[in-house]
Amino acid sequence: MSVKQAEQGISQSDEQRLAHMKRVVQRIKTGNNIGTGILFTVAALVAVLFVGIIVYLLIQGAPYLFNPSFYGTSDAGVGREIFNTFYILIFAEALSLPIALGAAIYLIEYSRQGPLVTIIHFAAETLASVPSIVLGLFAVLVFIVGLHLGTSRLTGALTLLCLNFPLALRLFEDALATVPRELREGGLALGGTKWHVIRTVVLPSALPGVVTAVILTAGRIIGEAAALIFTMGLTNPTNVFTLDPKIASATLTTHLYYVAGPGSGNLGLTSAQENAITAGSASLLILLLLLINLAARGLGRYIQQRITAA
Amino acid sequence: MQIEQGHTVQRRSVGNYIADYAARYVFLLCAILLVLVIVGIFVFLGMNAFKVFSEGADVKTFFFTSKWDPTGATTLNGDPSYGAGGLILGSIVTTVFAVVLATPFAFGMALFFTELSPRWLSNLLRPLLEIFTGMPSVVIGFFGLFIIVPFIQRLVGNMVGNHQTAGYGWGAAIAVLFLMILPTIISISIDALRAVPTSVREASLALGSTRWQMMTRAVLPAATTGLATAVVLGAARAIGETLAVSLVLSGGSLPPLVPVFNLFFQPNVNITQFIASDFGETSGAARDAYYTLAFILLAVSFLFVCISRYLASRSVYK
Repeated sequence: MSVKQAEQGISQSDEQRLAHMKRVVQRIKTGNNIGTGILFTVAALVAVLFVGIIVYLLIQGAPYLFNPSFYGTSDAGVGREIFNTFYILIFAEALSLPIALGAAIYLIEYSRQGPLVTIIHFAAETLASVPSIVLGLFAVLVFIVGLHLGTSRLTGALTLLCLNFPLALRLFEDALATVPRELREGGLALGGTKWHVIRTVVLPSALPGVVTAVILTAGRIIGEAAALIFTMGLTNPTNVFTLDPKIASATLTTHLYYVAGPGSGNLGLTSAQENAITAGSASLLILLLLLINLAARGLGRYIQQRITAA
Repeated sequence: MQIEQGHTVQRRSVGNYIADYAARYVFLLCAILLVLVIVGIFVFLGMNAFKVFSEGADVKTFFFTSKWDPTGATTLNGDPSYGAGGLILGSIVTTVFAVVLATPFAFGMALFFTELSPRWLSNLLRPLLEIFTGMPSVVIGFFGLFIIVPFIQRLVGNMVGNHQTAGYGWGAAIAVLFLMILPTIISISIDALRAVPTSVREASLALGSTRWQMMTRAVLPAATTGLATAVVLGAARAIGETLAVSLVLSGGSLPPLVPVFNLFFQPNVNITQFIASDFGETSGAARDAYYTLAFILLAVSFLFVCISRYLASRSVYK
């Protein structure tokens, strides 16, 4: 074999290898393009789906929101349900926030890592995963059958306390955990007791997070329905505009469920009126949640700025 | 004078000490209350869940037959029947289908969000996800009832015989559950992918991987346990979802199993729908049967929590 021939042979196999490498690279690149293309498509589909549903529901109900009779206090309006929603929101928050904040303070400030903390966190996680209808049935057993509180706003607020507890606890824990340790140590070094330091140093510093937590739990309470249908009832008594905690009452969500589902036709409304209530309530609920989301973003930041500027 | 001052200081510090001591125990009590609530749920529902088996139901018929009529309203002599097999099958089938359908979309969206999306787009997508996660289930149910059900009715109504009732089946329930659990799985998956350190990505890219190879061969395997947790928690949410499902399901009982088509597109049942629609009108032994159903849901979601905790304990990146 001459040198020339050998050179030719080598360069031939080189060319083959080069061509093979090019094909491999081409295949990998095509794979990459197809893969990322699929991800783009999936993301676009999901985003369009979410935006589409929100916009559709908003537009569907928007005409009713501008109609004063939608807010009326007869069966054809939802004035009473709006009042009840805010009543139960304030009632349930007043019950659950101090308790959840107390539990969060214990976990972050007082407890050492140990079995008790593990148990409490496991309990919180388990409670968070209990389906809300199951929680409703538990509330029937304890508050209605056991404590004779009846189908009432009080029972509803106590049910929401159980429902809200794990979420509020986690958010409060996060808020307290953001406070730097040096602040606590500084307070303690100045001779304050632990409780004094928590009250005057930790809680004010954690305020932005606490406010955000309050707003986010409010969103959860406004949207909740399944836990309330047996504990607070689906219908209203003649006069709901009182602060009486012993009366049954329907909120925007439970009323929407009742009118769209089991109670369709029971209230003596035309289907156009029923449609006004359901579509209007749905879009009102979405509007409220949008507001809450904006507030949770804005208010926390605003307070943060005020505190750090002061 | 100095002694007096000393007394005041001492008194105040005693007061502070007592307040400190009291505060500690008040807070502990709050934390204990949480444990009491969850224990109470298991105890109270558990106590009432097994009553029905001493009141005429037996375990085998409860789980494996499908005639659910605890009040005995449909029989002549008023004998109740406790066959929850159809309801349980409904919950299992709708949950499994919804999770299987939602998972690829959720993982795709989460991967896009963490690996590909530019910052401005992420800033738009994050609030969108949060809002949709917090969507009240009754609103999704309303959407299902007025959009998804009629859509399915138009699509398959002529194929499945009875056009009037077509749509109120598992198909619609799966669609609604898909919408409810998709944002949940997406946001937990995003957390799982975020927990994978950048060094893993850099190492993969430095070896010459394309982005796609980096995602599928490095990031996804590293986040496996976190992604599995996301799916499990999605399933937990799906099986307990009530109002959205109960608005679109309107069957009285499980339809005949053949043809399978009927199961998905003719009125059908699941557990939560029956609790939501019938529990309020029952009493006595019939009511106990609903506590049994609730206990089943409770046990299943507890199982899911245990699985997710086990997975979390095994994950490398947190």
